[in-house]
Amino acid sequence: MSARVDVKLVNLTIDGNPVRVPEGTLLVEAAKAVTTDIPVYCYHPKLGPAGLCRICLVDIEKAPKLQIACNTTVTEGMVVHTYGEKVDAGRKAVMEFLLLNHPLDCPICDKGGECDLQDYSMAYGASASRLADPKSSKPKAIDLGPTIVLDDERCIVCQRCSRFDEIITNERSLVVKDRGQRDVIATASGEPYRSNFSGNVTELCPVGALTSKTYRFKSRPWDNARTHTTCTQCSVGCALNVDERYGAITRTMSDEDDAVSDGWLCDRGRYNIAFYGDARRITTPMLRTPTGEFVQIGWDDAIERWAKHLRDAVASDGADSIAAIGGGRLLNEEILVLAQTMRALGVTHLDWRAGRQRQASPGAYGGTYVDLETADLVVAIGRPPSQTAPVLDLRIRKAVRNGARYVTVGSHPSDSFVVSSHLARVSDLAAHVESATRVAFVWDGIDAAVGAQAAELAESLAARGTHVSTFVASEQSNARGAEALGMSPQNGSADSDGIFAAARAGKLRVLSLLGVNPMLHHPLGASAIRDAIERTDFVVCTELFLTETAKLAHLVLPARAAFEKSGHVYDLAGDVLAVNAGHTAPEGTLADADMLVALAAELDVTIAAPDSLHAQASAAIVATATAFGDPKFARASDATSETIGSKGDARNGVRIAIAANIFSGGGSVYFDERLAALRPSPTATFARETAATLGVHAGDLVDLVAGERTLVGLVAIITDTAPSGVVTVIDGLPDAPANEFADGETVALANVRSAERALTAGAV
Amino acid sequence: MPETKVLTAGIGEANLRDLAIYRERGGYEQWRRAVAEMTPAQIQDVTMKSGLRGRGGAGFPTGRKWSFLPKNDRPRYMVCNCDEAEPGTFKDHMLLEETPHQVLEGILIGTYAIGSHHAFVYIRGEFRKGYEIFMQAVADARAAGFIGENIFGTDYCVDVTVHRGAGAYICGEETALINSIEGRRGEPRLKPPFPAIKGLYNEPTVVNNVETLATLPHILKNGPEWFTAVGTEKSPGYKIVSVSGHVKKPGNYEVPLGTPISELLAIAGGPRDGRTIVAVQPGGGSSACLFQEHLDLGYDFDTMAANGTMLGSGAVVFFDDTTNFVEAALALVQFYAHESCGQCTPCREGGHWLEVTLQRILDGGGMHSDIDMLVSVSHQMTGLNLCPLGDSIEPFLASVVKRFEAQFRAYVRTPERVAVPA
Repeated sequence: MSARVDVKLVNLTIDGNPVRVPEGTLLVEAAKAVTTDIPVYCYHPKLGPAGLCRICLVDIEKAPKLQIACNTTVTEGMVVHTYGEKVDAGRKAVMEFLLLNHPLDCPICDKGGECDLQDYSMAYGASASRLADPKSSKPKAIDLGPTIVLDDERCIVCQRCSRFDEIITNERSLVVKDRGQRDVIATASGEPYRSNFSGNVTELCPVGALTSKTYRFKSRPWDNARTHTTCTQCSVGCALNVDERYGAITRTMSDEDDAVSDGWLCDRGRYNIAFYGDARRITTPMLRTPTGEFVQIGWDDAIERWAKHLRDAVASDGADSIAAIGGGRLLNEEILVLAQTMRALGVTHLDWRAGRQRQASPGAYGGTYVDLETADLVVAIGRPPSQTAPVLDLRIRKAVRNGARYVTVGSHPSDSFVVSSHLARVSDLAAHVESATRVAFVWDGIDAAVGAQAAELAESLAARGTHVSTFVASEQSNARGAEALGMSPQNGSADSDGIFAAARAGKLRVLSLLGVNPMLHHPLGASAIRDAIERTDFVVCTELFLTETAKLAHLVLPARAAFEKSGHVYDLAGDVLAVNAGHTAPEGTLADADMLVALAAELDVTIAAPDSLHAQASAAIVATATAFGDPKFARASDATSETIGSKGDARNGVRIAIAANIFSGGGSVYFDERLAALRPSPTATFARETAATLGVHAGDLVDLVAGERTLVGLVAIITDTAPSGVVTVIDGLPDAPANEFADGETVALANVRSAERALTAGAV
Repeated sequence: MPETKVLTAGIGEANLRDLAIYRERGGYEQWRRAVAEMTPAQIQDVTMKSGLRGRGGAGFPTGRKWSFLPKNDRPRYMVCNCDEAEPGTFKDHMLLEETPHQVLEGILIGTYAIGSHHAFVYIRGEFRKGYEIFMQAVADARAAGFIGENIFGTDYCVDVTVHRGAGAYICGEETALINSIEGRRGEPRLKPPFPAIKGLYNEPTVVNNVETLATLPHILKNGPEWFTAVGTEKSPGYKIVSVSGHVKKPGNYEVPLGTPISELLAIAGGPRDGRTIVAVQPGGGSSACLFQEHLDLGYDFDTMAANGTMLGSGAVVFFDDTTNFVEAALALVQFYAHESCGQCTPCREGGHWLEVTLQRILDGGGMHSDIDMLVSVSHQMTGLNLCPLGDSIEPFLASVVKRFEAQFRAYVRTPERVAVPA
């Protein structure tokens, strides 16, 4: 018997229809059972009732006056009328007030066509206004922040945006300013509205007051062709709708009923769409000539050359001279074709890992999103999910809203707004887990030793009856699929470290890189990767853009991005999610799957029939129940973060923390012209006293040095929240790639110059 | 019946701000009795029997309000509402400045009676002087051992926190006041849940008016029968009435409830020489006007309600035959439009609409249809809002438009003109 059976049901009548709903249901929700449309503006199922707009008036028998359906709980025997003379009169009165000073600029409003105010004014609005005076005028097109434009005249002050910012994100920057007829939406601080979830307010806004800069004046909603798909910008796997018009993506919108995202999107997932149509996309295969330039070649030629190099390598040096890296950004079907084609040739040096992350599977305690939001203790270890899996972080905030504590472990402070404690080590968790009954661990999958400590703790908690759930927030969106579907080294074959080492030793003849950019992300660092690629006979790279890595390849194949192909991916909770093509890919590009199928045909190797791939992929995930932090995933060269801290000469140096950022990367964000304002610039963040000790001032340009490796021209930022004795830099920035540095190692500060001097030097 | 000084006794004669003087007159004796000799239930019982009704505006029986608190061990709070801002009301202001210890004693008794250990006093931001006087009173009472740990040798502990408002009428509404104390925007909360269940910091909370609480020591001292012996059956006791407008001696006068309005007029010195009172607003800015024919009505909660208006906070404003009711209406509508928090659509938009319309009528641009519109819009915005502020415009406006329609119509110069928006 499930607990559901115990829910007491209440009988009531809505418009003559008998309705039976659980006790405590709000009338506005109960009415949905009889498909009655009660108009709402301020009410939203995820935000709860606010009782502000007053449009949801209904007539309840025996009540002295009209009641708002959004804050009325059903009671036994209640008789409700949602239409009729009395109700209509009330709603017409509210509608008259709503429209009184509304500009009615629907013809130039982006919301026109999907606007609740427009829709309900058809039902309850008068054809002429009784207002004999000019409408009150308010500021229009206010730049609210890097993503949003606000029109105060259109705003009906339903407070959905400010309530979202308070209830759901807990960031509390949006407020209602002033009062009465003068009230406007603004940030409390007066600073621009910055949030990684800002785009959600444009969807919550029932009118055209809040609009996305990326979508303003781009399209009418009815001109958009919509496709339901899955976001592949991170490992969460939020469902979203892609709107396309005249072959260009106009916008993406969330799916309110989605079980994965809970109806929200982060700004990376929502706004990072302009790269699809960027002119810098590669649209033809490119071959490097002996003199070093790229020449365009045809697809048949390209696949033949790839196949020939593979065949020749097998013939001359055996399959051990071949390796492939990739899969974390591919679809399940593509990963399978890749792994099967390579293995059919006898290739075993296959790895999906092209960055810091080592492990993607959460182990035996792998949890669901419901486990996460019902936990009473959430522990995030390593990089904060707020930057690596933003919408997952909203789940954590939801858990905290429900009473959970949120503890972060490691050298990265989280900007989740709900952190109760921050600890240095997993071993410090002992006191925190004592009273918890449902513990969720979210790990970044990077430091296997730290993961193993967490696994040990999880195991001991589970042994004494505590409910444990584990999650890995990955660097690459489908890392879990890649790890499960054959792109992990097996039986002693080389991982990506081993592959690049073999390449540098001149042992590799063909290296295929599929949707990876090790030059920017691999911890061996750019110079080692460059060396490895240069010493390999033939390097193939499938890419959207000429990234740092693609520029070095011998053959670059123009790939397709997520909205341009169909298939499936795994989310970090192990669900298989459908990806559907919703955008016409540029001519000349091919999905990795199509390239690989052509390659397999050219090589004459047998792979599974394409229509069986999905079933095969979905069955494979059960085989990955490896423990959280399994040592087999550890880097051979890895030192644990606990020992790294003590290395080096700390007297002249600081520890470097290499932070994740939702808008870093060298691919889709870097080649998105509309995201310039959101992309982080290379910075070095210090705590106030650390900066004082080092003689660094805000705005100074600094370099960081460790041996031969340098990070040049970082702008110093000084904050009160940064940890002491640490300099934080952002990972994955093409202008200052930090991948050569190990998280936690000691670096020296060099060449500190004031912004003024730097400017003068630049001018000279 | 003449003026009867109970809460106002000693004001203007002795320096009641001085703790020693207040104590010489029996001050804090009831607080000692309450804690040392009575149980909270006994005080609740006495209050219930006294029939004391809230003096802040709604007139809800205080004992019943307390009885809504859940019977549990959660922390609970007493909040004293001293955000007096109803147009025409200035009694709490006086009590705070002149008899701060009497107010504090009442607050402490109320706090003890509801089983709370923490009282919050929300003082209107503009009451700077009253705030300073009250803070001194709290400090003196604390030094004398009336606030703090183990009061009068018992194990009862109590603390008092004083919070200043920042100038918003709406913060007199109890849930807006609670939001304001919590540091949130001062706007009313959606009810249910009511403060008795989920109030300040989400705990059970009672919000009582200054005058209501200041009455408690007197009821404890004299017994509930003393209180019910005066006033009417359903409106027992004494009430401080703030009389203002066209009278010779405006001021606060304490009278038994049920005293005829004409007597209030007489106590306040009567109308100005040669003038006739044509209207009286009996319960603050939110109440409907009464007229000459109503002057003999008894001033109590039920008589006022039966005549379509209310006693409210006890602010009586007299209007004589020199009054321009269009200007008077604009003054009040401007106030409510300015003070609307803007949460609810009808209140936010309706008040502003009426304001600009009245201004245009006064400026000579009115149409006959505007006058009908004033009545219809003020009615239309009533009963649709989350709190009573939006319902506060109709009573006065509709009553004076009906009574003095000619004054409004006289402003219309071009009856048939059709207004064209600028």
